[in-house]
Amino acid sequence: MPRPVEKLVSLTINGNEVQAPEGMMLADAALKYGDVEIPVFCYDAKIGPPVGACRMCLVEVEGIPKMQAGCSVAVTDGMVVHTDTPTVKAAQEAVLEFILINHPLDCPVCDKGGECPLQDNAFGWGGGLSRFIEPKRHFEKPLALSPLIAIDRERCILCYRCVRYSQEVAEDDQLVLEERGADTFVTTFDGHPYVAPFSGNIVELCPVGALTSRPYRFRARPWDIEQAGSICTLCPAQCNVSFSVRDERVLRVMARDHEGVDDGWLCDKGRFAYQAIHVDERVTEPMMRDGGELRPVSWEVAIETAAKLLKHAGANTGALVGGETTNEEGFLLTHLMRETLGSNDLDSRPGGALDLDLLRALNAPTLQASVPDLQYAHAVLVLDCEPVDDAPILDLRLRKGVRHHNVKLLIASSRASSLDERAAHSARFAPGCGEAFTAALAAELAGQPSASLAAAAGADADDVVALAAQLRDAGEEVVILWGERLTSGERRNEAARALLNLAGQLSITDQEGAGLLEIPAGTNSRGLREVGVLPNASIGLGDAAQQGRDAEQIAEALAAGELNAVILLHSDPLLDQPSSALWKSALGKASTVIAHAAFLTPAVREYANIIFPAESYAEKEGTIVHPDSRIQRLRRSIARQGETRAEWALLAELAALIGNDPKALTCSMVSARIFDQVPFYAGLSLDLIGGAGIRWSERDAAASFPSAPAAPFQLDAPPAAASPNGLLRLGSFRSIWASPEVEASPALAFLHPRQRVEISPADAERLGIKHGENVTVASNGDSVEGLAQIRANASDGTVFLQTSIPGDSAALLDGPLVEVKRS
Amino acid sequence: MTDTLLFEHIDEPGLNTIDVYMARGGYTQLPIALKMKREDLITELTGSGLRGRGGAGFPMGRKASFIPKGDMQKYVVCNADESEPGTFKDRELIQKNPHQLIEGLIIAAFAIDATINYIYIRGEYDQQADILDAAIAEARERGMLGENIFGSGFDVQLELARGAGAYICGEETGLLDSLEGKRGNPRLKPPFPANEGLFNGPTLINNVETLSAIPSIIKLGAEGYAAIGVKDSAGTKLVSISGNVQRPGNYEVALGTSSRELIYGLAGGPPDGRKVKCWFPGGSSTVVLTADDLDVGYDYDSLEAAGSALGSGAIIVVDETQSVVELAYKLAKFYSHESCGKCTPCREGTRWTFHMVERIKEGTATPMDLDIMAAVQDQIIGHCLCVLGDAMAMPIGSLIAKFRDEFEAEIETNRNAREAQLAAQFSAAEGITV
Amino acid sequence: MADVKRFTHDSRIPGWDRAADLDKEPAVVPDAATTEVPAELRAAIEDAVRRFPVGDSAFIPVLYAVQEQYGWCSPEGIIQAAAVLGRTPAALTAVATFYDMFEMEPLGRKTVYVCTNISCSLCGADELLEALEGEFGEDPDVNVRGFECLGACDIAPMASVNGAYVGPIALNEVPELARQIREGEDPLPAKQMIRRPCADPKVAEK
Ligand SMILES: Cc1cc2nc3c(=O)[nH]c(=O)nc-3n(C[C@H](O)[C@H](O)[C@H](O)COP(=O)(O)O)c2cc1C
Ligand code: SF4
Ligand code: FES
Repeated sequence: MPRPVEKLVSLTINGNEVQAPEGMMLADAALKYGDVEIPVFCYDAKIGPPVGACRMCLVEVEGIPKMQAGCSVAVTDGMVVHTDTPTVKAAQEAVLEFILINHPLDCPVCDKGGECPLQDNAFGWGGGLSRFIEPKRHFEKPLALSPLIAIDRERCILCYRCVRYSQEVAEDDQLVLEERGADTFVTTFDGHPYVAPFSGNIVELCPVGALTSRPYRFRARPWDIEQAGSICTLCPAQCNVSFSVRDERVLRVMARDHEGVDDGWLCDKGRFAYQAIHVDERVTEPMMRDGGELRPVSWEVAIETAAKLLKHAGANTGALVGGETTNEEGFLLTHLMRETLGSNDLDSRPGGALDLDLLRALNAPTLQASVPDLQYAHAVLVLDCEPVDDAPILDLRLRKGVRHHNVKLLIASSRASSLDERAAHSARFAPGCGEAFTAALAAELAGQPSASLAAAAGADADDVVALAAQLRDAGEEVVILWGERLTSGERRNEAARALLNLAGQLSITDQEGAGLLEIPAGTNSRGLREVGVLPNASIGLGDAAQQGRDAEQIAEALAAGELNAVILLHSDPLLDQPSSALWKSALGKASTVIAHAAFLTPAVREYANIIFPAESYAEKEGTIVHPDSRIQRLRRSIARQGETRAEWALLAELAALIGNDPKALTCSMVSARIFDQVPFYAGLSLDLIGGAGIRWSERDAAASFPSAPAAPFQLDAPPAAASPNGLLRLGSFRSIWASPEVEASPALAFLHPRQRVEISPADAERLGIKHGENVTVASNGDSVEGLAQIRANASDGTVFLQTSIPGDSAALLDGPLVEVKRS
Repeated sequence: MTDTLLFEHIDEPGLNTIDVYMARGGYTQLPIALKMKREDLITELTGSGLRGRGGAGFPMGRKASFIPKGDMQKYVVCNADESEPGTFKDRELIQKNPHQLIEGLIIAAFAIDATINYIYIRGEYDQQADILDAAIAEARERGMLGENIFGSGFDVQLELARGAGAYICGEETGLLDSLEGKRGNPRLKPPFPANEGLFNGPTLINNVETLSAIPSIIKLGAEGYAAIGVKDSAGTKLVSISGNVQRPGNYEVALGTSSRELIYGLAGGPPDGRKVKCWFPGGSSTVVLTADDLDVGYDYDSLEAAGSALGSGAIIVVDETQSVVELAYKLAKFYSHESCGKCTPCREGTRWTFHMVERIKEGTATPMDLDIMAAVQDQIIGHCLCVLGDAMAMPIGSLIAKFRDEFEAEIETNRNAREAQLAAQFSAAEGITV
Repeated sequence: MADVKRFTHDSRIPGWDRAADLDKEPAVVPDAATTEVPAELRAAIEDAVRRFPVGDSAFIPVLYAVQEQYGWCSPEGIIQAAAVLGRTPAALTAVATFYDMFEMEPLGRKTVYVCTNISCSLCGADELLEALEGEFGEDPDVNVRGFECLGACDIAPMASVNGAYVGPIALNEVPELARQIREGEDPLPAKQMIRRPCADPKVAEK
């Protein structure tokens, strides 16, 4: 959808002429362009169209006899507005008197005190007097609304921001108003807690102290804390955050509204998992395995031992790099691996190395869609990913696009999507068959036969036809939001070609507002690839001097004794890699396992010889790259906890000890070196990146991106989806809550997922399985236990399990078929 | 000229059935209207001078003319919520002559090209809803509703939707939200329903009586209809008269009839020769008038000139034996109970007023509270999202202004009574006499 | 916790102590596969949905169907309706609690609404309500309550008995009316609105 074009109009506010974009709400225009504040409570443009409920914003508009609500009157040319007349003043005082009659005025014991819009408005516009002597409305207080949020209904001014948010932004529809008139109150259904991926945003939205964060309650007053802006690195969405810091501790995370990234929202993981920074379970000192036990050691011992072991292993060292690694750390790791140890066996992609040509083609700057494109495109195809799990905040952006900009949302996935409800069309394919499905779609768009490809994908041929028709008719601006899962596994290169063909059919290269947007497996996957943390590419996606092993090959080589050391830089292969069995034997065989970790996750606890404490994201500095090519800066917001040291420095020190000093004295020196060496980053600097980041694909230097072959590609026939034959196809997904940080955060621990076995009602009936009972999923002698979850919208013949959870993870099983039975 | 249009044949047994209605000339105007050009039909409606009978008195034809043309789905929604205290005229029309309403509604739907239409009836009108439902089914069976009615090429559907007990759903945008299955909160205006109403489509909302008048307009012609009544108040009006009168009920009169004639002539005035203390001319939401205003003509302009309004056409007569405090209490209780709670001044102002009147009754108020009460009414008026708040503030404000002495006297009496009672309790407890 | 002494007046409002039970699962859209719905209720809901171009707009008739099924808008019934509609149960209770005719607690299935608004109270409605409440006391089958204007001021004071309007009711008729209600008879047949002629003398003349 073409983005709204701004046309300026002139209006007069309190006698001053002001220019503002046509259609903007008066309250916004007055503040932004006229430096006149019209007080508001219920209005926040972020929540959607104004409702004009609180009446705080009344102003006079010449020519209209009744006072107008400034939050909901769009500015027009020649409008004459008064916000400071006696009539307006009287109305403001009247509304504030009304609002305050039922408010308990318990500011001394209210968490919001000092940062409260009600206090500010009462001070700025109130009459300072109340004539109300009748009994106030009373509620018991404070009560739990959820494990994360407390509600104090006496303080509520019924502005409805929170319930509108739940209904119209998060669309979870759990938070509502009950009763009517002055009896109205905010609540959930029948005492159920408000638990949803984005519930915490209501705490920030509430203009009074009615909704407060339980983890933050009474931890600090606004004047005790400092705000530090940085980036949340808990998922690839990389939301901009502001840490509330007191005494070098993060006490709270708030959104740092960035239209290009997060639109001002956070998911609950991002909002509350900061707790994991300050828990006892966190690794904050180096450790070594000593007689089977992990014990703390001094830094000197740990570093020297690690250097010795690595030097000894030399080129027989492999490295796995996790998504939370910064560009600088990745850069120094490649220095350590390639230039110091002489090994090219390093990988940051869990799904196997992708042909460099294809990687370049997929990442070509002319084909990159931005996050706001999701909101304004004519159509968005969500392909083989689940935004709410894979990059949560994008889920809200897609909903906004559908709700406010009529974006046509199309979904193609193997597991039922939480966005299906909002989609113009949803299609299912068998797990792991994204390639065939994408090829089918591309073929259909090219006017070629698609039915056999659809069949190979285990999909309904009509779905392919319907999706293709929707895409064809949508308009030029089409965005494909795709998951790295699509280009993982054996057929990854073919899948990439199919995707490029699809993009070719839609002519979205060089099309403003259109393109591909990948949700990668790791937070900074994009940056790590761009600095060369791949077995087959050098820095800047250049040709590799020598091909190395990819993740799976590293495991195989370790298991075969061809490699004997491995570095796990923020990576736990038992959580992140597709096959646990392979990695167990690999790690079991490895003589040296060096892990950089914040928590003793399964592989680290079982197999690491040396553990270096990893910095938390609030302690780190460096740069990362958003999936839409925005380079963003992490800023150190608190002191490193315990004995933790800067990891970039540690990596540099290791290389130096082994005999090849990278001469990195500061982290920003490393950043500068990266900007220098990545051709398409040329001219960047930390200052340029600043607080808002910068999309490199929009800069002139993007022209230096290495060229790549163009679609269409000749495709060979994809293998057909396994036929269940009484068994079930195994699919897996990673829940938003599957992360060590969630598990470690006391407030969030209740969300840390347990294994659930999702099957369709028909399969459940056939297998005699009841909802909620214990079932076993088995293949090739391995098995996983979980609770049966029967879902009406699950596909017949398929079972879905979670990965990335300790214990019974789907990664323990080998597909494609599994047997499910009652335990 | 006759002044019985809506009530013609009203008590005829079986008029609620399509056969009797048609035997009395029903559904003869519909085919005539269907043959007219839409613009001409709207011109006819405008020319008749018919003004909305639901409360606001907006000219019906003009409202219809605001509906944009185009392919979008348009709707007519009939407001049969009738919940303004004192009003019960729509009930009688629906119960006894539902087909007249349906015929009028179909004509209005044709005028604006609305193919999907609703009647929203208050949930409490259970029997009336059943009658209306049956009438709609009959109309459908006989081809008055459905596809290509009377070979006109016009497809028209009509459904009945029931409310569930909320005064605010009579307010047109609250009604729309309720009809969409939401809490019945009024919406911001603009956009007005004519542009963005039901399911965001252009919507014409009219009261039962307004739509029921349409067949007569087609029959009499715009001029014929406009000739009834007085200037700017054309046609006949059903007036619901209740309270302290001897013959409460609905009366159809030409607009402009004197109020005294209505209250005394038709309804017989208060029983036992008692005097009128005050009267609400257009439902409980209108400014009260006193015995001095009895000769005001019952029409839109005259009542407005008298400082009040014709509203829904419901006269509530209060005789001299009644207490103004009790009246204010009932009013405040009603409006605070019915405030939807969406906007601050109405939600808080109505509840606060209710509490203040309660204190007058308890004997804990002082005359100063009367000033606060009056001020609170001023703080409500003009500040709300819809006019429910004003609908309390106007009558209560007028009661205080017009009967201040009585309020003060009652405050005094109740205070004394309370003090005496407290003193008695105190002496009983302490064993002392004061 | 229900009787905290601090607030002795009636300023506590409904839901005043409604905390979330943290052991409960969040009330998301109930899964149709695991929510059983009585066939009559499902049929009534599907019929209601058919009457509107947008399914959600059938909330009011759906709630009536739940109330018909269970006698009140029970959480169980709400969850079932939510499963059929594909909405959260909260979306339904938000609507149900807005309207006076939906009961959120189990109450008598026989309803007696007594209008206590202005016109009726000018004619003795408060006394009528008191008398009817006296008759039924705590009778679990009968739900007697004062109501705002029912649109029947011409028969003040009046009551709506299971939807049938009756009035004017003299206080000495109350025992008989109460008996009829208890025994499920037609309430005061001669005084039912449905049989009342129009007051307008011009109509009678014809
Ligand atoms: C609080 C409030 C309650 C109302 N109740 C009713 C009602 O019960 N019936 C009605 O027809 N109009 C009612 N109205 C007026 C409607 O908003 C609207 O003006 C009317 O339905 C338009 O129809 P008309 O032009 O035919 O009168 C009410 C208005 C307000 C502000
Ligand atoms: S809880 Fe806060 S955000 Fe929600 S309605 Fe009340 S004041 Fe507004
Ligand atoms: S901010 Fe405008 S009405 Fe609330």
